[in-house]
Amino acid sequence: MIELKGLSKTVMSGDQPLTILHPLDLNVPRSQFLAITGPSGSGKSTLLGLVAGLDAPTSGTIAIDGQDITGMGEDDLARLRSEKIGIVFQFFHLIPSLTALENVMVPLELAARRNARGRACELLDEVGLTERAHHYPSQLSGGEQQRVALARALSNDPPILLADEPTGNLDTANGQNVMELLLKVRTVRGATLLLATHDLALARRADGVLRLRGGVADAVSGPERGVPSFASGIAE
Amino acid sequence: MPFIFRMAFRETRAAWKRLAFFFLCLSIGVGSIVTLRSVIQTVRHTLTRESRALLGGDLSLSTNRPWDPKVRDTIDSTLASIPYTARADELETMSMVRPEDPEKQVARLVELVGVQQAYPLYGTVTLEGGYPYAHGLLRDHGALLRRDLLVQLDVGIGEAIVIGDRRFTVRGVITAEPGRSTGGFSFGSRVFVDFADLQETGLITYGSRASYRVRLKVADGAADRLASSLRGPLRSQFVSVRSFRSTENRLSDNLVRAENYLSLVGLVIVVLGGVGVWSVVRVFVHQKIKAVAVLKCVGATARQILGIYVLQVLGMGLAGSLAGVGFAGAALWWLRPVIDTTAGIATPYALTGAAIAQGAGIGLLISLLFALVPLLDVRHVRPSLLLRAAERPPHGPDWVKRAAIVSVGAGLVALASWQAASLRIGLVLSVGFAAIALILHGAGLLLVKVMAPLQASRRFEVRYAARRVVRPGNQTRAILLTVGLGAFLVVGVRVLQANLLNEFQLDLRPNTPDMFVIDIQPDQEAGVRALLSDSANGVRTQANLIPVLRARVSRVQGARVQLESYEDVRRRGGLGREYVITYRPGLEANETVVEGHFWDASPAERPEISIEEGLRDRAGLSLGDVVTFDILGRSVEATVTSVRRVDWADARAGGFMFVFRPGPLDSAPRMFIAPIKGPADPVARARLQRALTERFPNVSVVDVQEILASVSKVVSDVTFAVTVVGALVLFSGILILVGSISMTKFQRVYEAAVLKTLGATTRTVALLLVFEYALLGFIAGGIGSLGALGLSWGVSRYAFDVPWTPLPGYVAAGLAASIALVTVVGLAASLDVLRRKPLATLRAE
Repeated sequence: MIELKGLSKTVMSGDQPLTILHPLDLNVPRSQFLAITGPSGSGKSTLLGLVAGLDAPTSGTIAIDGQDITGMGEDDLARLRSEKIGIVFQFFHLIPSLTALENVMVPLELAARRNARGRACELLDEVGLTERAHHYPSQLSGGEQQRVALARALSNDPPILLADEPTGNLDTANGQNVMELLLKVRTVRGATLLLATHDLALARRADGVLRLRGGVADAVSGPERGVPSFASGIAE
Repeated sequence: MPFIFRMAFRETRAAWKRLAFFFLCLSIGVGSIVTLRSVIQTVRHTLTRESRALLGGDLSLSTNRPWDPKVRDTIDSTLASIPYTARADELETMSMVRPEDPEKQVARLVELVGVQQAYPLYGTVTLEGGYPYAHGLLRDHGALLRRDLLVQLDVGIGEAIVIGDRRFTVRGVITAEPGRSTGGFSFGSRVFVDFADLQETGLITYGSRASYRVRLKVADGAADRLASSLRGPLRSQFVSVRSFRSTENRLSDNLVRAENYLSLVGLVIVVLGGVGVWSVVRVFVHQKIKAVAVLKCVGATARQILGIYVLQVLGMGLAGSLAGVGFAGAALWWLRPVIDTTAGIATPYALTGAAIAQGAGIGLLISLLFALVPLLDVRHVRPSLLLRAAERPPHGPDWVKRAAIVSVGAGLVALASWQAASLRIGLVLSVGFAAIALILHGAGLLLVKVMAPLQASRRFEVRYAARRVVRPGNQTRAILLTVGLGAFLVVGVRVLQANLLNEFQLDLRPNTPDMFVIDIQPDQEAGVRALLSDSANGVRTQANLIPVLRARVSRVQGARVQLESYEDVRRRGGLGREYVITYRPGLEANETVVEGHFWDASPAERPEISIEEGLRDRAGLSLGDVVTFDILGRSVEATVTSVRRVDWADARAGGFMFVFRPGPLDSAPRMFIAPIKGPADPVARARLQRALTERFPNVSVVDVQEILASVSKVVSDVTFAVTVVGALVLFSGILILVGSISMTKFQRVYEAAVLKTLGATTRTVALLLVFEYALLGFIAGGIGSLGALGLSWGVSRYAFDVPWTPLPGYVAAGLAASIALVTVVGLAASLDVLRRKPLATLRAE
């Protein structure tokens, strides 16, 4: 489902090049759950951003569902995300001027789905926020905001979910709550999930774990439940 | 409803309060355009509909010389071939009028109108008390007066007045005559008498100041034909021929021009609003970066996002324009009594469709033009900034943005040209705007540099405030443009107005004449001189009787210009009018010779003239040129032998464009005028006027004090209009200021919260804000006021040609007002920055 070949990212830090992700090969089959771990600044968010087409790699290719996205323009990438990728951020990133319901409706409207409102209501119901549909983000707690963000990420039924430390900004109880919800909806939908996290206990529940350290994948633990499909390596 | 419409609606719902100020400003500009255009269009329609009444007939022939038999023949023979249905001759002159009762020591200068049975050919004369007008009222020395004259002379209906050496009876009070509004400028109240009676008064002599008119009513369509067949032969005879249609066209042209020029004032306000839109959209886009990134993240294309914000701007622009139309409606309703009395026509003033369309169109276009460039930045927002602070996307020159800037510029030029109906004026206006904006910007950068040392101030508040002004991301640019431009316009208009009013002040030099005794016949010279010198009459200057003749230039044989006929002279412009000329043996105190030699006292063998400097420069005359004058039908050829500079501000000896060497004109039909300083006491002034007119019925006295009163009324009307415009500009400036401050408030709220957690008291935060805004006000006001000096200098010198004084008081006031305004508005708009508890703010971040 997600295929990375020799993917790397180098940025200019002042006038010095700084490699934040060293060349990496990775193959994530459909409906698998890959946890990405590593300390802050190890390149987790960068990797997710590259997979989502939010950023362009310095080298290498990314294929989503067999389609190479590395050469695609901004607008084509936007359409690709609309169809195939749902993203949950650490800092929620809801649009402050829209209500919870409208935030969820936006991707549906962009994809020109019929009955966007009804679908958004269902999604809010699924994350337990029917009561809060007409509140603005500033009127919601952190956990609630993240649940709205999750509903938004799910709105177009994307086959791929990317989550960047979705609980990193929440307390333990709320974090657990959101995480359980995320895993549940993934299982129900059979979506491929890439989850960046510090939480090793959580990582253990994944089909596979990619450990990053200083932008280098130093370990890929295989499928603990016998799915021998993760192929990863450190490119030359 | 498509997605972008829905999103635009949602965005507007959340942001309209923050954006409202700018669109309110836009609506003020739109409102002024719609109001001005509606009023003038209504006046234009009315006036052109009434053009026959304005002209007094289908056709009007007029001259200020008595009808020459040759001219009469031409007219009569032409009229014989084209039949007319009615004809009315008219005679108009200036004269003194006094009550017959010798106890009433008063006399007034009036415009005396002699009319015939057929008057008026079009329109109606209205009398006080609703009495119908009929020519019978004037027969046998009847007179119709205006109410003001009746009061001044202290006479009533049925009582007698003396005009010239004849006695007339007041038969009624005129309230309106066709073709004349109450606001029109005239040298005195108008008095109507019978045409034949007027000729008997002895006022109309050879060379006296009178205008002679023939009005005609002709069959439909014949007016233009008749006008063109009369115009040719009569033009060289100094007779002007006008048809109602040419009047209609001329009026219409003038009003259209006035409408277009005045609307530019509105355009300036709209553009000011546009500048506000520009700066607000910049901040807005900056605040929306995250939302844009999110939208891109969930699949919106750059085009869709741009569409959302463009739609939002258009929606608010439309709302602003509609509000402007609403303002215009209210303004018209409020102005109705004022306009009705000044234009003197009872017309229902209403918003005209054309004005609404233009105003609203401009509001929309300006908001779009000014919002487009900053909005284009949303294209560069990278969705990856949601994951980590993104590095600046390395993009080269943004050609789309540059193209947009160029097309916005072109759009503005087109808009201004459309409004002024002239590409040249449009260009001048746009280039002027761009230059002012550039200068403000450059001066701002400079001043910011100058302020930089304040960052090292030992006072924390000053240090911090200076940093806020100087460091990147400051609001200096936005405030500089809006407040600076506002101060520039307001102070500029004020200084200009003060300079203009100075020009109209009565010259307070001793012995400045305040009365002019005119139309003195040669045989009355000695008598008038004696009367004016009689100490009992209280005249405070020596009587100096100046001979005057009226002349037209009919030919010029010169080094630089060759004008063979009066036709050529007319076409040349600047020389075609009628001149009052004189002759004398020497220079007056207010004159100096700048070229050539002025003659000595001996009489000339050949006619010689001295010309005024301006004629040399504007009309292209030079020493040695031979100028032919037509002096009441007689041709006189004279050679230019000197050029004089005249101090026009010193009116003691009058000012003449042409002065003849004594000799050739001694026998010409001439009159004398005497500039005098009359008695200070109003009763004595009235007595002097009465004494003069009793003994010399044809002599008139122009009392400058009265004329100054009417001039100052005109000036105060103009001043009122200018003040209204200035106030509108200022008001728009304040709106923009409030808008830009509340727009950037979020940042200050956050900073204040952080400062408070670090131990800053509310007082410290308040002081910091005061310093910051005072500094900004100082920079903006300083640049604006200094620029205003330049503006007023340029306009005084080149447009109005009046002397200019810098008036530093106005600049200081402008500066102080800008500082106070920015500080007060800034503080008022930031009150909740001070009040809000820091924790809530930080948590929200």
